[in-house]
Amino acid sequence: MLRVKNLRVRIHGKAILDAISFCVQQGQTLCITGESGSGKSSLLRALNGLLPAEFERLAFHPKTSEPSELKGRWQGAPGLPGSRWVMQDPIAALNPKLPLGVSIGESVFSKSLSATELNDAVSEAMSDVELLPGLAVRRPSEVSLGQAQRACLARALVARPELIFFDEPLSALDAIVQKQVAATMRRIQMRYGTTFIIVTHDLGFAATYADHVLVLRNGKVEANQSAGNFFKSPESRYCEELLLAATELGGLPEVVPATQGPEVARSC
Amino acid sequence: MTFQTQAGFSEETDLKKTKHGKDLNRFLFRLGTMVLCVLAVAVTGFLLSPYAPNSPDFLNRLSPPSQAHWLGTDQLGRDVATRLLYGGIWSIGLAFLITFAGAVMGTMIGLVAGHFGRVTDVALMRVTDSFFAFPELVAAVTIAGVLGPNTANMVFALILVGWMKFARLVRSLGIDLVHRDFVVQARLNGLPSTLILWRHILPNIGPSLLVLWTNAWSRSILSISGLSFLGFGVQPPNAEWGAMLLDGKAYMQTAPYLMIFPGLAILSCVLAINLAGDRLRDLLGSNAVGTEK
Repeated sequence: MLRVKNLRVRIHGKAILDAISFCVQQGQTLCITGESGSGKSSLLRALNGLLPAEFERLAFHPKTSEPSELKGRWQGAPGLPGSRWVMQDPIAALNPKLPLGVSIGESVFSKSLSATELNDAVSEAMSDVELLPGLAVRRPSEVSLGQAQRACLARALVARPELIFFDEPLSALDAIVQKQVAATMRRIQMRYGTTFIIVTHDLGFAATYADHVLVLRNGKVEANQSAGNFFKSPESRYCEELLLAATELGGLPEVVPATQGPEVARSC
Repeated sequence: MTFQTQAGFSEETDLKKTKHGKDLNRFLFRLGTMVLCVLAVAVTGFLLSPYAPNSPDFLNRLSPPSQAHWLGTDQLGRDVATRLLYGGIWSIGLAFLITFAGAVMGTMIGLVAGHFGRVTDVALMRVTDSFFAFPELVAAVTIAGVLGPNTANMVFALILVGWMKFARLVRSLGIDLVHRDFVVQARLNGLPSTLILWRHILPNIGPSLLVLWTNAWSRSILSISGLSFLGFGVQPPNAEWGAMLLDGKAYMQTAPYLMIFPGLAILSCVLAINLAGDRLRDLLGSNAVGTEK
């Protein structure tokens, strides 16, 4: 549903991202990983038109909303229509002066719903992410980090996107909350068949979660494999090192569970 | 980044923040009450006073403070205490009006400069810079002098020389906020830029604006008194603290209380507002960025 061909970002003549190509199927999870500074977050920003990127082709075909086709430079307002983005630091991603409910509701601003419709949509999204309805009137400083991240998740969800970008969605949270939020993410994906693109440096998380793994290194694609293949036989020497390091640190489970659904043809 | 610590101590910081918020609300409430009280005292005192501020009484010229005239009378026999209260309403009220208008004007210019393209930004900030280049009081004297010395022209002149600080502050804070995650999210969610400014930028600049505004308010009281003292502001026979100083100047040797009391009024008023502003800055803490001066 999302197909990216030869994405390139150059800032001040220096290529930050170069020759990035990948695709994601409907309902699947793509984990983008790599060391710090490898361009993971820049890739998300480029895909949302927040960086001056050039595409040979960017095609996004959601089922319910308008498809986006793009060649060359990004034009118009930032953001792929039909997608939403959950950021790393939930406190920074929420306006400190606005109640959570208002922040969540802003996500469907363009649909110009009536007040009751908006209320219903917000409370449904909040119950989807297991937030108590009473929290809608709280401000970000009055809730825990986990609740704030759930509110960000609800903000993405209320727009019924078919694709959600996550930028290190769990790294601001402690282990227990990480587990809970990850479970919520999974439940949402099961329920709505949403496609996830997750930037993470936690290979353990990727191992249990991803259908497909994209490894970046210095702004280039180092590996682009299905998760099963990647964790058994990574494409390159660098990926082996990466996996080895993660195993030594205990971030990676010994046995990689095969969590993917039926094998889908991945011809990217 | 310090995500680890944030996660670990989230409960504690939450508590601190709410307590902090309560302190702030209490302070703002007290400040508001105090300002209202001062105004109420001034208005009722002025209304209850048996004397009219501008009616002369030639039998009691230049009488020193007494039971009948607590702060004495001036060269036309007008009661100084009544004039002081009456003049206070002018000084404080006009300063409020001037800084409020300046803040609104500066905020709008700052927001537009920061968010509607580079050309607009450069153009508006060069205009701001050129306004900054004039010494405040000299420019105000010139404008008020050219237009004719009266209260309305003084207000206009002081608004014209007072908005630039607001514009600079709002522009720089706004540009900083634009790159924050929650504003990026709002843009991605398709909010129009006017709504982003109104909902996301402006409320987060508010605290800093408030601190700058208290500062501007007290300075403005000084400017009004200064201009009136020089004869460009509130005109006789109307009372205003600066105008009273001017009136009393000729009798400095024989009736010093004509200058002492208006001077004390200006001093205490400016000091009070400045102290309130300092406390406000402390309470707003890191929220009020860019107002260290």
